[in-house]
Amino acid sequence: MTLTLRLQRQLPEFRLDVDVICQEPVTAIYGPSGAGKTTLLNLVSGLARPDTGYVELDGDVLYCSSQGTDRPPEARRLGFVFQDDLLFPHLSVDANLRFGYERVQPAERRFEPGQIIDLLEIGPLLGRPSQQLSGGERQRVALGRALLSSPRMLLMDEPLASLDQGLKSRIIPYLRHVRSDLGIPILYVSHSVAEILELTRQVLVLQQGQVLAHGDFSVVSQDPRVLPLLDEFGFENVLPVEILNCKESACTARCGDQMLRIPFCDRPVGTRLFVGVRADDIILARQPPEGLSVRNRLQGMITEIAAVGATRLVTIDVGHPLVVKVTPEAVADLALAPGLAAWCLIKTHSLRLGPEID
Amino acid sequence: MEILSPAEWEVLGLSLRVALASVTLTLPVAVGVGWLLARCDFRGKLLVDGLCHLPLVLPPVVTGYLLLLAFGRRGWLGPVLESLGIRLAFDWKGAVLASAVVAFPLSLRAVRLAIEHVDPRLEGVARTLGAGAWRVFFTVTLPLAAPGLWVGALLAFARSLGEFGATITFVANISGQTRTIPAAIYTYLNQPAGEAAALRLVWISIGLSLAALVGSEWAARRSRNRQATP
Repeated sequence: MTLTLRLQRQLPEFRLDVDVICQEPVTAIYGPSGAGKTTLLNLVSGLARPDTGYVELDGDVLYCSSQGTDRPPEARRLGFVFQDDLLFPHLSVDANLRFGYERVQPAERRFEPGQIIDLLEIGPLLGRPSQQLSGGERQRVALGRALLSSPRMLLMDEPLASLDQGLKSRIIPYLRHVRSDLGIPILYVSHSVAEILELTRQVLVLQQGQVLAHGDFSVVSQDPRVLPLLDEFGFENVLPVEILNCKESACTARCGDQMLRIPFCDRPVGTRLFVGVRADDIILARQPPEGLSVRNRLQGMITEIAAVGATRLVTIDVGHPLVVKVTPEAVADLALAPGLAAWCLIKTHSLRLGPEID
Repeated sequence: MEILSPAEWEVLGLSLRVALASVTLTLPVAVGVGWLLARCDFRGKLLVDGLCHLPLVLPPVVTGYLLLLAFGRRGWLGPVLESLGIRLAFDWKGAVLASAVVAFPLSLRAVRLAIEHVDPRLEGVARTLGAGAWRVFFTVTLPLAAPGLWVGALLAFARSLGEFGATITFVANISGQTRTIPAAIYTYLNQPAGEAAALRLVWISIGLSLAALVGSEWAARRSRNRQATP
């Protein structure tokens, strides 16, 4: 998949100016509210027009202002899933699902309703009016509706933002199915790092209409301009771990060459998964502490201290970069500086279990 | 005893025919113009909006006289229509046109409001699912605006039943052709011993108008309920 985007559009607050080539199956677009993320998707889908620009998907030019090419949205074959599911309220679930399906030539259909209904487990909902569904059900139907229009690519605009945490974690596996089993590339807008990392590590960071960074998350997140943005919603570190054994309330996992006690999870020994921990849930110590209830102490070396507003984000290399949020006073009192050793203290229950590593 | 005399039945039948035809004529135009005003921005939109609402505030006599100037036998368009075999002046079709023009702003307001309340993002999502602009209009916009269309149709129907000033100015008061309920009531009141007949038509008029208003209020509530659900 190759998606070439060169888009310029003057918005009331700023100028959107994007020039990127996306080649990964899933590219996440990350940025604060009002950064132009939704506008960008609208420009790609054809629902809005750029002032000038060029959009090409796998050699097919969808928009080119200099040649006057402007495919209408219905001819672009891009599935759009919105934050609000936007099911047609006057149609049943079944009719919603078939809305796009029936617009595709039979020879060009990539999926049959039965296949998608099974994948998303929405069979029991088919006869219901769309208003009678719960949030998670609605979003699954919206996803199914988009898939059945046989899109060449999915554009997803914060599809989980209006769902609570429990529902989010139930929908994400379906998105992973779409990505891995159906092989449909996705442009995924979100302002949740944790959510993005469930799907991809390829991130495009947008701020005030400009691309701040584009690439692998581990590289992008270390960009001094990106770090403050990540912190805006509570920066969540993501660490890859491997489960060694599980007992009653907690599991022991290996993170690099250090050990972590993580919340109990019913997964076999040897499973590799991501765990998340928020930057302000970590306590920093200069000496190995004694007599604390905290189970986890990761040793590492301070690599960077970034000033973000009234706080400081300290990056510690514990085998993986770990960002810890502290006050400027703490930096002064502990005389924190790059190159010094430090211990990161993390309560077991501050660790959030993330997805398994593919 | 008969409820209504044959002449009164004729008046009632003609009134219903004129009102139904007027709705049929005015509603498609209201839907088109309503969509234009609700969804498009163009130069002179305020002017178009104002012109469309003019019949609501103009004295009906003025509307009727303008119609006479335009469509009368010696009007601007009269000869053209005549050559096509269409006669409006002093004909029931003229009564339909007069009613339709006067009822138009009422139905336009209702239809425009209904279309404005349809979430444009639903239309957008339908486009990305492969439906062209016309298909989106007929399969998404119109069905979602349907309760508002009913409101517009019923208001136009009620207004057409009550149309008097423009009709009598444009097509006069000809028995069996243009004598609708209001014109008949006016005629009976000017006849000796016509009061009983007039009163019967007054009751019918009240009944029909009330039914149409109750119907439109019911449709308006359905429309609000539909928009209230997520």
